[in-house]
Order: sequence, then C-alpha cells, then structure tokens
Amino acid sequence: MNRLIPLVTIVVALILQVAIVPYVAIAGIMPNALLLATVTIALVKGPRAGMLSGFATGLLFDLTGTGPIGAAALVFCLVGFIAGSIQESTFSEGWLVPLVVVFFATLTAEVVYALVLAVLGEGGLSVAGVLGLALPAALYNSVLALLVYPWVARFLRSEKPMTTFRRLA
Amino acid sequence: MRISQREKTGGDGWILALLLVVAFILITIYFREGSSGPLRTARQGVQAVLAPVGRVGFAATSPVRSVGAWVSDLGVSRSDLEALRQQNEEMRERLAALEEARQENERLRELVAFVEARELDAVGARVIGKPATLWEGVITIDRGTAQGVKVGMPVLASQGLIGQIVEVAQHSSRVRLITDQRSGVAAILQATRAEGIVNGSIEGDITLDFVSRESTVTVGDVVLTSGMGGVYPKGLLIGEVADVQLSDADLFPRISVRPSADLEGIEEVVVLVGAPVESDVTGGGE
Repeated sequence: MNRLIPLVTIVVALILQVAIVPYVAIAGIMPNALLLATVTIALVKGPRAGMLSGFATGLLFDLTGTGPIGAAALVFCLVGFIAGSIQESTFSEGWLVPLVVVFFATLTAEVVYALVLAVLGEGGLSVAGVLGLALPAALYNSVLALLVYPWVARFLRSEKPMTTFRRLA
Repeated sequence: MRISQREKTGGDGWILALLLVVAFILITIYFREGSSGPLRTARQGVQAVLAPVGRVGFAATSPVRSVGAWVSDLGVSRSDLEALRQQNEEMRERLAALEEARQENERLRELVAFVEARELDAVGARVIGKPATLWEGVITIDRGTAQGVKVGMPVLASQGLIGQIVEVAQHSSRVRLITDQRSGVAAILQATRAEGIVNGSIEGDITLDFVSRESTVTVGDVVLTSGMGGVYPKGLLIGEVADVQLSDADLFPRISVRPSADLEGIEEVVVLVGAPVESDVTGGGE
C-alpha cells in the first residue's frame, strides 16, 4: 500500500495541473503541481523515490504539453534526485527546508527545462524569461508548498503519524 | 541527529543514469518519428483522457478566473490609465470615420464570395483548456478529428487570428497561440503592404520582425496575415502595431504588435477547416 501512495500523489498532482493550475495563474504566472509533488516525495522518501517520481511526473508533463517528449522527464528526474539528496544531507527540520528546497527546485527545473527547449530548437531562454516567469513561479510554488507540504508529507508518511509542521518537515 | 542513508542508496547513481539515458532516447525518438509515431500517439491518448478533466476544471474555476483577472488588473499603472484615456479620445475620432467605412463595407460584402470561392469553411469550438505550463501558449478546444480538424489549420476568434492547430485527438485539439515562442506567422502591414513575420516570445508578447528599414511603420497600423507560405489564408486580422523602435545598429525595426483577439479571456473560437493545411509546426512528422 505504501508504494501506491506516491503514485496517488502524482495522479492527484496531474489532475490539479490540468484542471486547476491554468486558472489560478496570476498575470501569466502559474505554479507547477507536478514539480511540487516530485519535490515533496523526494523530501519525504529520499533521492531514489525523488528521481523515479521526477521521471514519472516529467513524462506526464511532456505528454500533457506540446514540447519534446522526454525533456521534462530528464529535468524533473534530476531535480527529484538532488532534492532527495539535499534532504538526506540536511540536519535541520521545520518549515524552512521544504520551502527553500521547493523554491530552488522550481527555479532550477523551470530554467533548465527552458534551456533544454532552447538547445533542442523548440524555444529560447532570456533574462526576462527567468526574471519574469521562472522566478515568480518559484515563489508561487513555495507559497503553495507552505500550504500543502505538511498535508502531503503526512499522507506520504502515513506509517509515521505526525501532528505539527515541524515534525512533518 | 539524522544519520545519512547513503550506504543504502549506493545504486541510485546507476538508476539515475538509466533514467537519464531513457529520457535522451525518448527525445531522440520524438524528433525522428513521424506524426503517427508511438510517442505522439501516446500524447494523443493522454490528451483524449485529460480533455474532460480540463473541461471540468474550466467550468469549476469560473469564479476563480474572475478573481485572477481582477488581481492582474491591479497592476495597471497610472501611465496605462492615461494611455487608455488618450486611446478613448482617438476612438471617438475614429467613430466618425467608421460611418464612412460602413458604407464602404456594404460594397465589400460582395467580397464574401471570395471566402466561398476559397472554401474557408469554419467549425465553431469552445475552449476547454488553458496553457498549463510557463513556457508554452497552447489552449485546448473541444473539436477534433471527428469534426474534420487537422494539424495546421488556422484558428480565429471573433476579433482575429489566435493560432494554429498543433495536436489533434478525436474530440479535442490543441491550438498554439500566436504569442507562443514557437509561433511564426507570415504577415503584412495593411497600410504599406510591407511584409514580415509575426513571432511570439517567452514573455507572451508578439513582434513583427524582418520588416524592411525603408518601410514606414506607424503605431496603429493594422497587421494581417500575408498568405505567404500557405499556412494561413491571406487577410486574417492579427493585430495592430503598438510600438516601433529603430536605431542605426538595427537591421530591421523592432515592431511590437498588440493582438486584436483577447488571447487570455478567449472562450469560443472557429477553426478554418477549409483552409490549406500546410503546418509550420516544428518537431518533425507534420
């Protein structure tokens, strides 16, 4: 059953990404629910689960978009692995670590994804794109992480009942 | 104190390498396969499954969309307000000119035969999905192959051109907006007949590029499709020139274009199913 929980998390994130995310965009800036799910799984379950879930969410991201299939799988997989590794090497607990990791993971993933698209001849990357889109999106995801991380982490750590954000994180 | 579990995860490097290799293989297959290749077929399947989900989301988030638009409008500056007032003055002046144009329009109605002659049959569609990622301007509509929609067909709103079909499933399609960074439309300035290419951008703005330096371009000039390349029929309204900059160092003037269609608030569109289907969609296959 525990193995199915990350899968359920990813499916819910996919539904949110398709059905809700486009409509909570503020001035064209939208969060990335699939990436948020990846980082949360990585922070709770470690680097292996992080990269596997990153590959899965990235592939879904590719299949729901119109860009090259495999590009987001590549990027999210790496980001999931790095986020999981950071969690393993961090002694600090509390709300700050997931918040900071989600921010930098989103920023990195969005910028590297745009870079991969540019390399593949499917787009371009500019300073305006980073400052005007990726940075605000990373902030947006961080705010969402503050709201949903404790609950998703509780769901993923169902074998360890916890009650406070500090203990969850 | 937490004890590192690296000893247990020694094989993670291999798994990561394997996943990255698989991702590279997928990318390679994507660029080498045809339009009916396995990856594109899988994407069409996912699109067919998720289209109803997007439709539910579109209906369920109607109140949220209003709030989002309101929040976005908070960013309207005083200078924007002043510009709108000035624009209002100009509109009043244009109103008088429009009466003259109306009479001319009566005569031009005869040109409707032009549309029929070119078989520009249209299929109405509802927007059921908005762009779901930062880097692409793609919407989903509720018409697909079952209604005769094909990749490459132009899509219009009542105010003008909005984009082109890039993916088709049986009952839904994806439309790449003209603001998408991969979009390029052969265009012409109505007043001077100067030709150029309307390109999208990451930021969602559109520009008219490659217009000759010798051409006189002024703010407010109407931009139409030129019909060059055969992707879009000639004469579809794209927008109007919003800004022109030309320095000695530039090979071409930098022309910003304001789309005539409200691409963010769009809810109904028409697909020109009778238009020539010559896609400029990248990624091979088409």
